[in-house]
Amino acid sequence: MIIKELNHNSLLKENSKLDLENLNLGSFPTRKEERWRYTPLRALKKINFHNQLNFKIENLNSLEIPKIEGLVIVLENGKFNSDLSNLIDLKEIELSFDKENVISKSSDETKHKDYFTNLNFSFLSEKVVLKIKANFNIDKPINFVNIISSDKCLSNTQFNIEVFENSKLHIRQYFLGSSTSNNGFINHRNEVLLKSNSSLTIDKFQDLNNNFNFCNEFIDQEKESEFIMNTFSASGIILRNDVSNNVHGKNCHSELNGVFAPIDKQHFDNHTTINHFVADCKSFENYKGVIKESGVGVFNGKVIVHQDAQKIEAFQKNNNILLDEDSKIFSKPELEIYADDVRCSHGSTTGRFDEEALFYLRTRGISVKKSLELMTLGFINEVIEKSTDLEYKEFILKRLLKD
Amino acid sequence: MSELLIEIKDLECRIDDQKILQGLNLKINKGEVHAIMGPNGSGKSTLSSVLAGNDNYEVTNGSINFLGEEISEMSPEERSWKGMFLAFQYPVEIPGVSNINFLRTALNERNKFYGIDSIPAKEFLKMVAEKSELVGLNNKLKNRSVNEGFSGGEKKRNEIFQMAMLDPKLSILDETDSGLDIDALKIVANGVNKLKSSENATVVITHYQRLLDYIVPDFVHVLHEGKIIKTGDKSLALELEKKGYDWLKTDSNI
Repeated sequence: MIIKELNHNSLLKENSKLDLENLNLGSFPTRKEERWRYTPLRALKKINFHNQLNFKIENLNSLEIPKIEGLVIVLENGKFNSDLSNLIDLKEIELSFDKENVISKSSDETKHKDYFTNLNFSFLSEKVVLKIKANFNIDKPINFVNIISSDKCLSNTQFNIEVFENSKLHIRQYFLGSSTSNNGFINHRNEVLLKSNSSLTIDKFQDLNNNFNFCNEFIDQEKESEFIMNTFSASGIILRNDVSNNVHGKNCHSELNGVFAPIDKQHFDNHTTINHFVADCKSFENYKGVIKESGVGVFNGKVIVHQDAQKIEAFQKNNNILLDEDSKIFSKPELEIYADDVRCSHGSTTGRFDEEALFYLRTRGISVKKSLELMTLGFINEVIEKSTDLEYKEFILKRLLKD
Repeated sequence: MSELLIEIKDLECRIDDQKILQGLNLKINKGEVHAIMGPNGSGKSTLSSVLAGNDNYEVTNGSINFLGEEISEMSPEERSWKGMFLAFQYPVEIPGVSNINFLRTALNERNKFYGIDSIPAKEFLKMVAEKSELVGLNNKLKNRSVNEGFSGGEKKRNEIFQMAMLDPKLSILDETDSGLDIDALKIVANGVNKLKSSENATVVITHYQRLLDYIVPDFVHVLHEGKIIKTGDKSLALELEKKGYDWLKTDSNI
């Protein structure tokens, strides 16, 4: 990857020794590494990125998303866009844009981590920190919108969320590529800390059009906390989600769900790791792939039950539907168990829609296109129905089905 | 005067390399009930699949004229829009798709074909309430996934419920009696009889005479080796019940 025309200011503030020709971020991932075996990065590598962070979007309504209410934080091309945001004052919430930390965290801490983490820290342009104080329950979702709207723009952003004791929060993240921009790249990092007996649900929606989005996600859970993340991947050249869910306290609930629907050579990759470090926790994973027209899907989910983490219940599944012969899925469910008193299962299925079911629907006057849509809906419904908001659910469905 | 609904002429078809229908002729007028009987493997279910448009079967000869239009190359959905309905012997389960959503989609797809607006929710639900009563379909089943976890009898009732919702011109009931106990059989037959009018026709495909006590046919046809070898009135069914098919097979071989 070549990065040029870098924003002058950010360059100065960063390590001045940084050499553009040699980013010194560690070696660029190749398919020889197990973690990148199924996701070639050729398309990304050949782009000459810049990070001139200007604004282009005048109104959120111009993007294909439902009306967003309540607290809305919008980043565009890697920078906070105050015109598009709506920072209503919520007494339970502390929101900050951590300008200082943007730079200070760079090289040392990130050494030995992967390339995209290094890239993120080295060229970080915006870091949003959101804290919810102890003992609050916020019903209305907090919205985080991360847009790329400029051709070949590289946006490195971070979102840190801390939920304090006994509090509950719901976050909706939108990663969007404007339909007029090409080859932009949002390289994002989510860091989540859940204090004891807290709860967080993240609905994450990725609709990048002809742009890239990688998300590195780290979730740390203290005792009796609950974490649920639903990832809906609708469009993008390459989408990659790397989730590390680390459960440090007892009696936690962790849930990772997703629907990914690549089409037309799009490549969507979900990597997840759930680390059960202690006993008496439950985790659930349910990812559904709907792949068509030369789309490629990857699911690699790993559950690790560490030594002495007894009475863990961990269930992981990945079901995929390939709608035609040109589509591909690489599915790798993994369990590593070092404790002896656990209930764990994992499984993966890949298939096509039943011809007989298709014929049945058609005899009722439902066209092939609509029949496939209906069967797809039936297939992903298990994950979609976890959202209780009807409008959001319909919007997600529409984008996933590309209706 | 009775009006012609469908005319099948010299119909031949095959699946893979196997010839199944071998020159079948059948005319059905509006207002009529036809029963098609025959031994296993005679082509009864193939006939229903071919009429509904299953493209696993290749029509190699002959014609199917439905309401003045040749339909042997027509898609299953278009046949449905024109008024064809097949009640399946083995109704298919569609996980995750609610019965209600499925039917609303079916009706709206047809409306779209005819350039009519989508059916308003209120009107649709009223229709569902009326039509499901016809076969005593449990309220819960309407909201469950299509046929998923339904008992054999519930699946068959659901077929007739769908038939009532779509109000077809020609209904083909493929072994609708199989797997039904006598009470369920009566309910299903009763539903079919209530849907009968001078504008539509019913084809009942069955192994047994039993169903024909409840859905009384105007004509009974015997299918053997892909052809209709004998046609009679309802007394033929009774005769078949007593004598089996062998005497007919011998006759036709002469």
